[in-house]
Amino acid sequence: MSYETFSGPNDNGRQKMIRLALIGQAKAAKSYGAIRTRLHRAAWASFVPLTTSDGQAGQALGQVTTAPSTEVLFTEQANDFDAVVIDADPGQTEVLAKAAAAGKPALAGPLLADIAALSQAYTMLMPAHTWRFLPSIQTVKRSLDAGKLGAPGLLRIHRWLPPKATPESLTERILPDADLACWMFGGAPEKVWTLQTPSNPNYIQFHLGFANGGMAMIDIACSLPAGGDYFSLSIIGGTGAAYADDHHNMNLLFAGDQPNALRTSQGRSDLAGQLQEFVDAIHEQRQATVTLKDTMRAIAVTKQIIKSASSNHVIQQKEDN
Amino acid sequence: MADLHKKFRVAVLSVVKHDYLPRAVAAHPRFELVVVTDDAAHPNWVHERNQRFADEFGISYLRDIAKAIAEYELDMAVVSSEAERHCDLAVRAADAGLHVIADKPMSTCLSECDLLVEAVNRNNVKFLLWNRNFLPAVIQAKEAIQSGAIGELHAIHVDFYFSKDAGPPKGTRQLGDLPINWLDRQLEAHADGSDGGVGIEAMGELQIEGIYPLGYIRMLTNANVRQVFARTATHFHQVNVDNHVDDLASVSLELDNSIVGSLCIGRIGSASHPDIGEIKIHAIGSKGGIVITEARPEVSIHYRDQPPLEFKNERIANENDFLLMDDFARALDTGCEPILNARGGRDIASTVFAAVESGKTGQPVEVTQ
Repeated sequence: MSYETFSGPNDNGRQKMIRLALIGQAKAAKSYGAIRTRLHRAAWASFVPLTTSDGQAGQALGQVTTAPSTEVLFTEQANDFDAVVIDADPGQTEVLAKAAAAGKPALAGPLLADIAALSQAYTMLMPAHTWRFLPSIQTVKRSLDAGKLGAPGLLRIHRWLPPKATPESLTERILPDADLACWMFGGAPEKVWTLQTPSNPNYIQFHLGFANGGMAMIDIACSLPAGGDYFSLSIIGGTGAAYADDHHNMNLLFAGDQPNALRTSQGRSDLAGQLQEFVDAIHEQRQATVTLKDTMRAIAVTKQIIKSASSNHVIQQKEDN
Repeated sequence: MADLHKKFRVAVLSVVKHDYLPRAVAAHPRFELVVVTDDAAHPNWVHERNQRFADEFGISYLRDIAKAIAEYELDMAVVSSEAERHCDLAVRAADAGLHVIADKPMSTCLSECDLLVEAVNRNNVKFLLWNRNFLPAVIQAKEAIQSGAIGELHAIHVDFYFSKDAGPPKGTRQLGDLPINWLDRQLEAHADGSDGGVGIEAMGELQIEGIYPLGYIRMLTNANVRQVFARTATHFHQVNVDNHVDDLASVSLELDNSIVGSLCIGRIGSASHPDIGEIKIHAIGSKGGIVITEARPEVSIHYRDQPPLEFKNERIANENDFLLMDDFARALDTGCEPILNARGGRDIASTVFAAVESGKTGQPVEVTQ
């Protein structure tokens, strides 16, 4: 496997701080601002709001320059930052093309449109797969990678969401868990079988068959009442198992009637971990642990899942590579 | 008017497995074990186990089932033999006019289950397939769903991972070693009670334990499974590899009333869970969802020099056995059906066989109704 290379931020043997630019909405600036003090070897330098009303939002990131547009960022202010984080809706191909042309590594997501074209870009592009960086998921994957669990056998995921937290498109709902399954098993499934009943479009269940008898059973429900969500991931390996289950992490609040279950938050370690990985990859002049190939694979599997639901057939496909 | 003080006289028709079932019968005040019986033409280990159980309870062991039925004025029979003999013994008991309680799995063959359903109907007797539907947490799930708390049921999922080991791990067979004989392994497993698959015919985990989670699903949905898609694998144990039966499986379920579901099941090994295993029920409805850990309520016990295989969490307030027998007594007293009757057991067996076939073919399989 060949890796793309790019200039690392070294200056006569000394590591420089990576100067980051953020393209996003006020909400993104607030989220990244909340974790800015946790970043190692990087700091925010620029902000491009996606709407004019978000012009002041960059203050959350600290002392940053606010650029009025991405055009200005990549031309007039191109020397003021080293890498760019794009946190926006799908369809940011144009911005990524500018980043590529300017030779700026980019962390971007969600990436759903024109993704194949992006693979031609020479700049290091790390797709945002924030779901992989949850502390619980990282812990499970580390155990798996360390060989503690043996060969993965069965992955089970329940993801239940209230409508407000539900992505609009079916693809966006499915993609994170399709990616997690491929990531855990180290490849794409050979078989895909999906159940989705017409009477309940807010629910989908997919069953993936991987090489060597591996299997994943995943259900996504988007019909919880307003309030909290629920996520559970367990993986059964040949010599061990891991259970990352919100059910295990509930505390109790007594305020009359039945007690309420309160999930102890994992905070935004996912966002911090992902950003730090991006920064570290730049410093170490290596490819990030999440690649465009991963995203393309997850999108392909997601399409198969949807195709199986609509055709009521088992979809069989070998991974191309 | 039923005599609610009547004590039912029970024959144990073979007790070669771990003997929780006849013990549960004996523990209920409405039932009395009066004889152990089996056919004569069986190997010594069968007779030895039958005799041992009879001796413990101070009752006779007769190697002649017809004679036992003729001489002991029986009301019912408890079948706890090898799985491949369950239906034959149960049919013979039913044909003798006896009510029957049988251990799981119902059979190793669907046609035998059909014969049993016919025999139960023909003789107008009651039949109970042993199950875990009265565990406290399962009752809680049932009450929550039936109360309408989560609205109309859309989906149900059960994880049923047993953490008991099953002999040498997969991959430990050396060049020149003979494949592990299924029955030999099961006989060896009797010591720690992990011989649920005892018999000559090898069975995968789906066949041995699938009744339990599918029993939950049947009770909680009140619906039949129409089609399944399954993945099966031998992932843990050499005995399963050598005998070509699964020890890990996942099954997608399509049920009546547009309900969908799934089952994940495996004998995952003692290293993979601190207790008997991860067993959970997830249900999603139109108004919400519920997540149930089957083991609750439980108490954690930790102490110095604790044996590594001793469960750290002990189930408490588990009255499943008593409630099953209470339920069966009610069925006998009133004529109502027990919580899992012959037809229900047969339908679950049909789902299991369809799943095993799907695992082999890689295609969805319709469940024979």
